[in-house]
Amino acid sequence: MSDRQLADWRELAQKLESEINKVVVGQASPIRAITTAIFARGHVLLEGDVGVGKTTLLRAFTRGIGGGYQRIEGTIDLMPNDLVYHTYLCEDGKPHVSPGPLLMSGENLAVFFFNEINRARPQVHSLLLRVMAERTLSAFNKEHSFPHMLVFADRNQVEKEETFEIPSAARDRFMMEIPIVVPDDADIMESLIFDTRFHDVDALVAQVQPDILHFDRLNAFSAVIQDHVQASATLRRYALDLWRATKAPAKFGIKIDGVDINRLVLAGASPRGMSMMLRAARVNAWIHGRDAVLPDDVHAVFHETTAHRLVFSPVYEMRRTEIARELLNQIIQAVAAP
Amino acid sequence: MTVLLAAAGLLLSTSLAVAEQTLYEMKEANVKITTVEPERDVGYTVGDILQRTIVLEVKKPYTLLETSLPIVGYEHRWKGQPTGIELHKIETEQNDLGDSTTYMLRLDYQVFTNNIVAKPAILPAEFIKFKADGKFYQYRIPSWGFRISPIATFGAAKIELDMSPFRGPLLLDPNPEKKRLKVLIGVFAVALLGLLYILGSRAWLPRMGGPFASACRDINKLRKLPAADVALQQAVARVHQSLNATAGSSVFSDSLDSFLQKKPKFAPVKTDIEQFFGLSRQVFFEPQAAHQVGDSPLNWLRDFCRRCRDCERGLTPEERV
Repeated sequence: MSDRQLADWRELAQKLESEINKVVVGQASPIRAITTAIFARGHVLLEGDVGVGKTTLLRAFTRGIGGGYQRIEGTIDLMPNDLVYHTYLCEDGKPHVSPGPLLMSGENLAVFFFNEINRARPQVHSLLLRVMAERTLSAFNKEHSFPHMLVFADRNQVEKEETFEIPSAARDRFMMEIPIVVPDDADIMESLIFDTRFHDVDALVAQVQPDILHFDRLNAFSAVIQDHVQASATLRRYALDLWRATKAPAKFGIKIDGVDINRLVLAGASPRGMSMMLRAARVNAWIHGRDAVLPDDVHAVFHETTAHRLVFSPVYEMRRTEIARELLNQIIQAVAAP
Repeated sequence: MTVLLAAAGLLLSTSLAVAEQTLYEMKEANVKITTVEPERDVGYTVGDILQRTIVLEVKKPYTLLETSLPIVGYEHRWKGQPTGIELHKIETEQNDLGDSTTYMLRLDYQVFTNNIVAKPAILPAEFIKFKADGKFYQYRIPSWGFRISPIATFGAAKIELDMSPFRGPLLLDPNPEKKRLKVLIGVFAVALLGLLYILGSRAWLPRMGGPFASACRDINKLRKLPAADVALQQAVARVHQSLNATAGSSVFSDSLDSFLQKKPKFAPVKTDIEQFFGLSRQVFFEPQAAHQVGDSPLNWLRDFCRRCRDCERGLTPEERV
């Protein structure tokens, strides 16, 4: 693929970003992260308080990507088969079986949006493990594949009742966990309250130009990006050091107030996680028009691709977000390249 | 020779004449004697000189017969035995007061004897003669008693307990202690300097020995390496180290602003630092990328390092040539 095509796709990515930025204001950084994940073909988990625009953001992206779109709400009584099929009595009085949200769009499924994922039971999470990792599902004596599917999920971190913590294995399937916070810019906050266009979410999302990206060509183009953007030996060493630091932060002289750093980390980032980090870093380099990954590209995706993969001692899990942010910041400050 | 013989004959005849004269005792009323004796009367030993001054105020017409003065070198004897006290020197002074005459005699005696224990001794009485109206009168200057002390204590003695006021306190030799003190002061000074060096972040003077100062030296050495690309890689890595050491954490192009916030004295070289990251990108991460430091990156790095060194010393960085 020529440089011209890389540039064309870059324009599309920028177009997608600008469209999303029009309808979801004050979230430039998460929008860049989600764009990166789309081109790196990684699943995305949004985390944030209630009513901060997580769902709107994901719906807007879904519209921009195009392709099949399915959505399911996480509830405590949701069972894995609810994702695969549903049964009902038809007008003729006979029972019927219809494909569930996962199967409904067939291979054209581009985005599977799982709202409030932490309300679903662990059985559902288990099903999702396979779907996310392999993009296949066995149902009705047949193997179904979803080669273009990305899972977008969100969860709110405030509510704990009737919720199930997503197991680390399921979390690891997500390329990124992106925190969504309310923008602190006064003008943006005011417009979110008073600008009437934000009141009707459906109308708002409809403002996004549909099908900006060709969802069925994303996989192929993603491979091109990964082949084209190089990682030098120095960068590889740097990434390895970052990985080691997530496993044994004390060896890199990292200290966090109120935390016994030797007991903090039970498991650092996984090999899959670091591989995803490099995929995302390559995409970030491509978006910036570079042919090689720089440490800055790694930094741009380090928190989003790594924080949710770290497994802390149970005593520190309640302060997970705060400690993970501090730990990763210090790792970036402690590890040098070259 | 003839003259000498004549003088000796005349002196002999005069002495014989005096000897033949009747000697009268000088009445006390005609002489007033004042003596100034040595300050102490003990503690003398062989070789010591004792001085006594005798002032005689003699009424006129009595005049001192100088030939009767004691003779230097004469050693007194006591019961035929020499006393060991010898007149060493004599000085006389005469002063006419009108109806009387004052004679001051300064007699220095030297001790030529000693003993293993203290023994009594005297400065002998001296007999001098006066003449008046053709008669001769004798006057006795009283003796003065003192003690001759041995040079060394007889038998075993513990010198520390010998608190003789004449010798004064025993003084210890301070030289070894002085030498030791000097050595210890030297060691202390060296230790203090070492401590200052360590506390001063391994710099002898304030603002010296900073990360960029040592980086400048290293880059100058690297410029002599034959392989330019290896030297350039090492030099860029060395500057990265200095930046990181200055910041206390890793500095990247995306954290340059926070670095300058933390170390505002590097603000004048912000553009240079950005160019340096461009060079680093080309050297370590993206060989195809262009940089803006010209054709001689090592020379540029050396100048950049110097400018950063000026910044770390709080100076205005020198302009690029």
